[in-house]
Amino acid sequence: MQRSKGSTITPMLSSQLGNRNPSWRARMGRWLQHGDRIWRTALLVASLLTVLLVLMIAWEIWTGSTLSRHEFGWNFLLPWVESVWNPALDRFQAWPAIYGSLITSLIALALAVPFSVAIAIFLSELAPPVLRTPLNTMVEMLAAVPSVVYGLWGIYVFLPVVVTPIGRVLAASVGSVPGLSLLFAGPMPVSGTSRLAAALILTFMVTPTIASVSREVLQAIPRSQREASLALGATPWETVWKVLLPYGLSGILGAVILGFGRAIGETMAVTMVIGNVSGSGYSVLRPGYTMASIIANEFAEAVSDMHTSALIEIALILFVVTIILNVIARWLVASVNRKTMGS
Amino acid sequence: MRRFFLFSWVIVALLLTACGGQTPAATSTSTPEAQTGGKSITLNGAGATFPLPVYTEWNQMYRSVQPDVTINYQGIGSGGGQKAILDSTVDFAGSDSLLKDNQYTKMPDLQMLPMLAGAVVPIYNLPGVDKLVLDGPTMVDIFMANITNWNDPAIAKLNPGVSLPDAPIVVAHRSDGSGTTEIFTSYLGAVSEEWKNSVGVGKAIEWPADKNGQGIGGKGNPGVAQAVQATPNAIGYVELAYAKSNSIPFANLINAAGNEVTADAETMQDAMAAFANAFNERLTAKIMNAPGQKSWPIMGYTYLIIHMKENQNCDKTKALLEYASWAVSDPAAAQKAADLGYATLPNAVKELVMAKLQEVTCNGQKVLQ
Repeated sequence: MQRSKGSTITPMLSSQLGNRNPSWRARMGRWLQHGDRIWRTALLVASLLTVLLVLMIAWEIWTGSTLSRHEFGWNFLLPWVESVWNPALDRFQAWPAIYGSLITSLIALALAVPFSVAIAIFLSELAPPVLRTPLNTMVEMLAAVPSVVYGLWGIYVFLPVVVTPIGRVLAASVGSVPGLSLLFAGPMPVSGTSRLAAALILTFMVTPTIASVSREVLQAIPRSQREASLALGATPWETVWKVLLPYGLSGILGAVILGFGRAIGETMAVTMVIGNVSGSGYSVLRPGYTMASIIANEFAEAVSDMHTSALIEIALILFVVTIILNVIARWLVASVNRKTMGS
Repeated sequence: MRRFFLFSWVIVALLLTACGGQTPAATSTSTPEAQTGGKSITLNGAGATFPLPVYTEWNQMYRSVQPDVTINYQGIGSGGGQKAILDSTVDFAGSDSLLKDNQYTKMPDLQMLPMLAGAVVPIYNLPGVDKLVLDGPTMVDIFMANITNWNDPAIAKLNPGVSLPDAPIVVAHRSDGSGTTEIFTSYLGAVSEEWKNSVGVGKAIEWPADKNGQGIGGKGNPGVAQAVQATPNAIGYVELAYAKSNSIPFANLINAAGNEVTADAETMQDAMAAFANAFNERLTAKIMNAPGQKSWPIMGYTYLIIHMKENQNCDKTKALLEYASWAVSDPAAAQKAADLGYATLPNAVKELVMAKLQEVTCNGQKVLQ
């Protein structure tokens, strides 16, 4: 069978190569060269397909949102317009959802990054070998827990036990301080469903991602760097702080951006704990929406064409925000790389 | 290298035999259907989730009535069902909300047939309160966020002797578009002009309680029920069938006649009887805030949507009409619906539906004789 396949190719090859009679081994080699080209083409097609896919998604959400873009223009996403999300009147403004996405993701990152980097440093530099493997496994397992499980655990355990008391304390303390009251005005619903709940659940979800990627980054730093630093008389702490972190900064930044991407796109867990309401002001102690969760909630049963179109426009915004994030991430990583190369 | 090639050929050969082995099996399962020459019929429907439990049961029961007919119904929501029948991707649709004028213009032969009615009930979570009574204006004020605390005198007046907490009222509502929301807001709109004009009536609205941070949205009946059960001092609304099957306490209401009623088969039948003559030429009717002495005030019909004229496959049309008339008239089917918490049609409405089914044509011929 293999011969028969070979013979179908041979005439073509031999005509290309003139009428020599190459050995089996040489023919095999040529065939493989040929195969190389086929292989390369296949890979090229595969990667072009992903580009095509992105373009098709972009086209689809661009055309799908035409109605809403024409009707509302820039008012759809600008914060200084009084926000309305009213399917009964067909008036839509996406700012509350955009704000919800940004505030929950940013709080999540602010809380998760120090933790994650600390975990990464411990696992890569300080943990005794007995602890290292089990802890590594645990962190990676956490990253693989499905988001609906985080959501369920959030509703039944985390919200009543942790978020509600925190919310009560925050509302009572900083809730009435002028300026801060914008962000911390109470009361929080007793069940704890709020933007803060979503942010804290997201913190748990992105921490393992950032931690495990940062750990990989730190472990990839050559031993010589550590040895050189220690040989100069630096303490382990100084080695971590002054040598390893600057060396791995671009990788850690990449991990943070990865976490941000997960946070802003997270749908299921957020929908389960954020309360799913629109236009409830800026306080993190109140229920709200994120861009992903408003689409998940309303798209299937959108009331009118305008409603559908407005939801698709939110998808467009989410898409653009993700692209912008990626660009910023690349630029940050590149600039950090330039700096470390320079020094 | 040679071994690798041999190995890959073995795999290819195995795959081929595996596929070859499957092919006869596949044909053998499809043959009987083909042999019966169109006698075995599958009807596909989609739409409202509200009647999904009873339709699923009915479709099972109908197997023993007409073994050749298989009916599939997918609960994708009323809006999805309307879209599906307008796109001709289903044989029939289910819907709690009425078709709009422009949809009738697109397909003038669409017909809505009332199948069942259901009640929407206000559910609450008040620790230590076993029985709560509300009336229309108070409900409007609560959902308008005019009344924001449980110890408000308006609520206390309706519940003498009940110790209501001094706590803010959390309002739970649907976050997805829903026929349940449409029925519930229609009731609030029927009670209050202010609600109708400033908030509105529909499958999805902007809830006033959201503005001051005391609203929570939940997806589907389970989402609202979960939000209410997880939140002390919350109030929300779900379908009676859902509240019953999950043992969620719901409030009694003062109806339009001024009597305190609870949602059950009797009060639902009373409301439907009060509006039995309210059907228009499209065979739709509201059963909102019914004037009967015992009427439960928050109710709505759920409909099947079928084609009256544009039917090509007459066997399918006949099967669908027979199924619909069985569902409306069979006592066992009615019993099943009542067990699940739905209200079955009063006789006057049944006759309207049966008469409409007689009028359906396929290729210009009447289908039912």
